Amino acid sequence: MIQVKNLSKSFKKVDAVTNISFEVKKGVVFGLLGENGAGKTTTLRMLATMLKPTNGTAIVDGIDLLQHPEKVRGLIGILFGGETGLYDRLTARENITYFGLLNGMEKLEIERRIEEISNMLDMNEYLDRRAGKFSKGMKQKVSIARSIIHDPDIMLFDEPTSGLDVTSIRVVHEFIRRLKEQGKTIVFSSHSMNEVEKLCDEVGIIHKGEIVEVATIKELREKYEDMELEDIFVKLVGGKK
Amino acid sequence: MINKYTWIVLKKELTDIFRDKKTLITSILIPILVFPIMAFVIGMGTDKFIDDSSQDISIAIISEEESKLESFIRDHEGINVVAPDNPEEALSELDIKAIIKIPQGVDQQIENDEMPDIEILYDSTSTNSDSARSRVAGIIGEYSQSIVFNRLEELGIDPQVLNPISVSSTPIANQDEDAGLGIMILSMLLPLMLTVWAAVGGIPAATDLGAGEKERQTLEPLLTTRANRLSLLMGKYFAVVIAAIMGTIAALIGFGIAGKINPNFMGTGSGMPLKSAVAVGILCIGLALVFSALELAISFFARSFKEAQTYLSPLTIVVMLPAYLTMYLDGKEIPEYFFHIPLVNTIAVIKESIVLVFNIQHILIVSGWTILYIALALFLTVKMFNKESVMFRS
Repeated sequence: MIQVKNLSKSFKKVDAVTNISFEVKKGVVFGLLGENGAGKTTTLRMLATMLKPTNGTAIVDGIDLLQHPEKVRGLIGILFGGETGLYDRLTARENITYFGLLNGMEKLEIERRIEEISNMLDMNEYLDRRAGKFSKGMKQKVSIARSIIHDPDIMLFDEPTSGLDVTSIRVVHEFIRRLKEQGKTIVFSSHSMNEVEKLCDEVGIIHKGEIVEVATIKELREKYEDMELEDIFVKLVGGKK
Repeated sequence: MINKYTWIVLKKELTDIFRDKKTLITSILIPILVFPIMAFVIGMGTDKFIDDSSQDISIAIISEEESKLESFIRDHEGINVVAPDNPEEALSELDIKAIIKIPQGVDQQIENDEMPDIEILYDSTSTNSDSARSRVAGIIGEYSQSIVFNRLEELGIDPQVLNPISVSSTPIANQDEDAGLGIMILSMLLPLMLTVWAAVGGIPAATDLGAGEKERQTLEPLLTTRANRLSLLMGKYFAVVIAAIMGTIAALIGFGIAGKINPNFMGTGSGMPLKSAVAVGILCIGLALVFSALELAISFFARSFKEAQTYLSPLTIVVMLPAYLTMYLDGKEIPEYFFHIPLVNTIAVIKESIVLVFNIQHILIVSGWTILYIALALFLTVKMFNKESVMFRS
């Protein structure tokens, strides 16, 4: 589904991501594990076509993201962690509809989809209230809804649980599992071993802009003789320092 | 560049702007209120001034005896002669505005062709006392002129010999004096108001649509939608332009109300012909297009809402400066090179229109420049919006 080929990105003279390659098959949950500043966000931003790669490319569902960035954006949904940004003066429904329209959907289709998602995430109660006064958890749900309004086949999550409380983290994890059941392809970045172990099929460990290991959780265990993921991570990353 | 996504963005941004009380107040309510309040205050000031000058002036006369001069002053309209116990103290309290000291035997002295010395005491720090002095001096002057006439007649000379030339001035514009003053105020204020609002009216919207979006972290999700960047940017751009134009229209409405409250504010109307009004309108929209693009570029460059505000507020001064410097520029004698200076050229065309000059060549020159400015400003904005290091810094 996603083939990353020698992707590199440098900002002025700093190399943020250097020559990384990996493949994510359809229906797989792929975790990008790395420390802060390792290049996770830059990689995801390139996949989302927000940043132009300095070198290399990626093929998303058969489409080269350099040649048809708009088509690729239509295929993917993206959810960012941390402070969730909504338009405070618009209602939850208007916030979601805006993104549906910008993804080329028809009004009727959007309404149907909102009803579906709203039932799933249990947000009917505040759907028509302005987002400005929502709690963090409510905002989180609206931004989840916003990211999947166009029913993308591929979801990118950038540190989706950073800065969230336990309840909200559960909502996000539950959401990722549900997407997996629906057969969606998921790439998500995290610096939490626990999260990666719990949710991912495959892991790419990224350090200082380079991929140092790509394997399934099972393969990692076998290769490193049942070491804890955290220890494996430290071993791989520490060895490169 | 402009497609259905542009309209989606424009519609959403306008909804957002209209729900924002802060932007509504600064962009629409304040421009509507500013001029009526100004007109009201200025009106109160001039009315008081007119009241004062039409009131009788209280003065005191210090003299030893009755004299013809004294009765001439007493009989004069608008003068109220009082006799306070202590005239000098009354003057310093401004209970009376002036004191006239008439020496003894003044009538006799005049009869004998001697020159009597009349003294006027007044308070030079008070404008009211000062104008009382000149009024009293005028009255004494009248009296002395009547004596001159009498003397000349006694000598058998026509008093007209004193006026070898007769001067009379008539304004050529077909308006009464009040309208002339109104046009002067209009020609000073209207260019300032139109250019400043067209240029800075978009600032609150631009701050919110650029830096505000960055700060709220809604920009990144926006960039991951199917809509391409340029159509997103154009939607935002038109929203800022509309906000700027609304601000200008609000200021014009305020100006109209001001004219109703205080007719002196605008005169009886300059009666600008429709073609001039259309030209001025188009040039002001052009100005809004230029500045909205610049403001959006600056707003996207800023890291945060606060930073954008800091960068954008000096812009107001940049716009005010040429507007103030050309405030007293005569619309009928504008130097040719003024039509080639940014901002000043738009002001120059507005000034011409107010004094009923319609110079199509000037309008075309300024339109040409304005199109160039729009192109440059938009080029800068698009460059800024496509610059990764600017859009993703925080």
